[in-house]
Amino acid sequence: MHILGISAHYHDSAAALVSDGLPAFAVQEERLSRRKGDASFPLLAIEWCLESAGLAPEDLDAVVFYEKPMLKFERILTMGLRSFPRSWRSFPQAMKNALGEKLWVKGIIAGQLGVKGDKVLFTEHHQSHAAAAFIPSPARRAAILTADGVGEWATLTLGKGEKRDDGTTSIELLREIRFPHSLGMLYSTFTAYLGFPVNEGEYKVMGLASYGEPRFAAELRRILKPTQDGGFALDLDWFEFHAGARRAWSDKLVSAFGPPRSPHQPLDPGTPEGARYADIAASVQLVLEDTLVSLTQALQRETGLPDLCLGGGVALNGCANARILKESGFGNLYVPSAPGDSGCALGAALYADRIHFKRPSVECPDHPYWGPEIDPKELARLAGEDGLPCEELLDDAALFAAVAAAIAEGRTVGWLDGRAELGPRALGNRSILAAPGPAGMRDKLNRSIKYREEFRPFAPAVPLEDAARFFALPPGGERMGRFMSGVFAVRPEHRERLAAVTHVDGTARVQTVERAMAPRFWSLLQAVGARTGLPVLLNTSFNLAGEPIVTSAAEGYSTFRRSGIDWLVAGRTVVRKLAGS
Amino acid sequence: MDAAAPRPSRLDLLLRPLHRWVWSDPERRARKLFRFADTEEDGGRDLARAAERTGDPLLRRLFLRHAEDEQRHGQLFRRRGRELFAALPGGSGAPSFEANWLSPGERGLDDLRVEDEHDGSLLAFLHLSEKAAAGRFALYRDVLGKDRVTSEVFTAVLADEAFHMSYTKKQLFRLEPRRAGQRLWMGRASRLFKAYLRLALALASVLGTVVLLLQYFLLLPLFALLAKRSARAESPGFAKARLPASLHSQY
Repeated sequence: MHILGISAHYHDSAAALVSDGLPAFAVQEERLSRRKGDASFPLLAIEWCLESAGLAPEDLDAVVFYEKPMLKFERILTMGLRSFPRSWRSFPQAMKNALGEKLWVKGIIAGQLGVKGDKVLFTEHHQSHAAAAFIPSPARRAAILTADGVGEWATLTLGKGEKRDDGTTSIELLREIRFPHSLGMLYSTFTAYLGFPVNEGEYKVMGLASYGEPRFAAELRRILKPTQDGGFALDLDWFEFHAGARRAWSDKLVSAFGPPRSPHQPLDPGTPEGARYADIAASVQLVLEDTLVSLTQALQRETGLPDLCLGGGVALNGCANARILKESGFGNLYVPSAPGDSGCALGAALYADRIHFKRPSVECPDHPYWGPEIDPKELARLAGEDGLPCEELLDDAALFAAVAAAIAEGRTVGWLDGRAELGPRALGNRSILAAPGPAGMRDKLNRSIKYREEFRPFAPAVPLEDAARFFALPPGGERMGRFMSGVFAVRPEHRERLAAVTHVDGTARVQTVERAMAPRFWSLLQAVGARTGLPVLLNTSFNLAGEPIVTSAAEGYSTFRRSGIDWLVAGRTVVRKLAGS
Repeated sequence: MDAAAPRPSRLDLLLRPLHRWVWSDPERRARKLFRFADTEEDGGRDLARAAERTGDPLLRRLFLRHAEDEQRHGQLFRRRGRELFAALPGGSGAPSFEANWLSPGERGLDDLRVEDEHDGSLLAFLHLSEKAAAGRFALYRDVLGKDRVTSEVFTAVLADEAFHMSYTKKQLFRLEPRRAGQRLWMGRASRLFKAYLRLALALASVLGTVVLLLQYFLLLPLFALLAKRSARAESPGFAKARLPASLHSQY
């Protein structure tokens, strides 16, 4: 049985193919269209999935869209009505948006793929998140929490999942918080207020928070209030996003927090104005974490389960995840590599497989590498045509030793290997690698390769076996590091040697690399350890500012040529930049 | 010829007083520079994409150089925009009138689908875009006489634009010597058609907005009342999750 999952139309579209109960192929549209955060109907991703599997659309047993369009439209219309007449500016645009394409998903899928309408299915948005978090996880029984900006109506759900011995799977969502009360919208509002782009600047808020003191926490607690039933509600007087206004916050918020930052204004946490922004970021982060901890503590007490699966865009907040692991009472926290909307394509397909078609539970491979494969020959051809030094190394050991030596000498390496990761993080197959030691490396990467703000941290990758030596991982922390889902303290005695990957507050978003999951990346880390005594690499996504992570060798090569990356590696093919080029 | 000295079009020369007025306000100037920065950087990404897709090694190298130029122009515009922004007395931060409809060429490559173009048509498109942008930038350089620093930014960018105009035309004639002229005319026709489409879409959007606003104010008030009443009845906090609906249902 072949089931295609699709997420589209809001941000980060994707397609995923589940064959006989197992993920087979999954990719975000942006990785193929090269348009960051591409929200269009993921035709390229669908074509790639089907072509890779050797399937025609008529071979599909079902095509599952990741949310229910009519229910979403009901919410948009209802919110327009509720904020009448304030919504008069946004109403026409909202209607044009919805009526233009988003409402006719069934027809679009049937038309574009040529499949019969009765093969097109629709999960609910948070069902897709829950399935993406629970079904591929190793947990047999787990509590589930999903949180994002908004799906149809739900913005946060609590539930539980079970893979039974008889092969059946259940996902039960118990209760939900509904729009406009939303942790994701709260965080996104402050992301925009701080001058960062919504849906991609949330990382920056988290990074900035470490520079500040949460001196606005009391105000934030007046905005996000706990309710008697253990939930929360936003005081909507501080916001305008629910009324569809052009900005997400109200004048009341500006009165309390001061003027918002212009996206064009440089941000230096060392200046008084920059410190204010950092304090606001720290306050939002603290209140978000407190709320999530409180919710998960209650969920743990209620379910009595040791495992928690987290889904939705909020699960990308590694600092919050680390606090949940430490304080909620759950022993294990499972966050998929793509907890946001792109992962919903996979979640929707898996939900249909296990719940709708009631197919038996199958253990999913526990890795993120579901995207297109790299072709080293393509790199050799391009470099050869441009007259760049290109070498095909005879074996992996020689390759790892050469790359380790280059990194030890301070070089930056573009590393392309195997199949691309699903999700926003490069986990060793589409990465830029460098030495984690010198703080100057961070500045070099920010200035000549990533072209991004200086306050943003870089992440380390370390073999699973060595992780606890360098990082203070709580029980369950090693697992969270599998997909870089948690932020943990760097052990004080190693902070100087890991200066390029240690954030200002002494933490790092560590990736723990298991040999079974990424054998070549693990071996490279071992080679680096043998060479330098420090089996740790700075691992940042292989892209330039404003671009999606590279997929093919040609894209890696183009990025290599346009940036300060010194070496480019695909498989065993190594290309070096000529001095002065 | 046109590579040596980019010149404003006749229409732009006629509109010179308007351009001078648009650029006279420092905040508007800053915002326009930010917009140019975005456009140049977007164009740079499109050119990088073109470099990744072409099978011609020389063209790939030229596209990559062009992409780096666009990236650098983006940085130049952004840096100057920030300087102007920082010098504003307590910058309002409010959106201001930028008269961007005056300069369709400045949208650069943003409506270009590199995947849909082959090398010849892409080169023709690039040549015409660069030529239009260079002419416009030459005019901006001239009307910015009092702001020497911003004017110099345009001068620096113009030097690259001249090269971009030149190489795109040269490469077009190298790759398709017999069809180059036809490609350029088709490129011009395509730009005209896109301008028409932009106008038509804008008009349709205005009409759609008017119709929807009429419905909003004439049909919705009663439903709005009911919606507000039902919202008041909702209690804050958790609600019971919806019972799972059939996956065949869109509700």
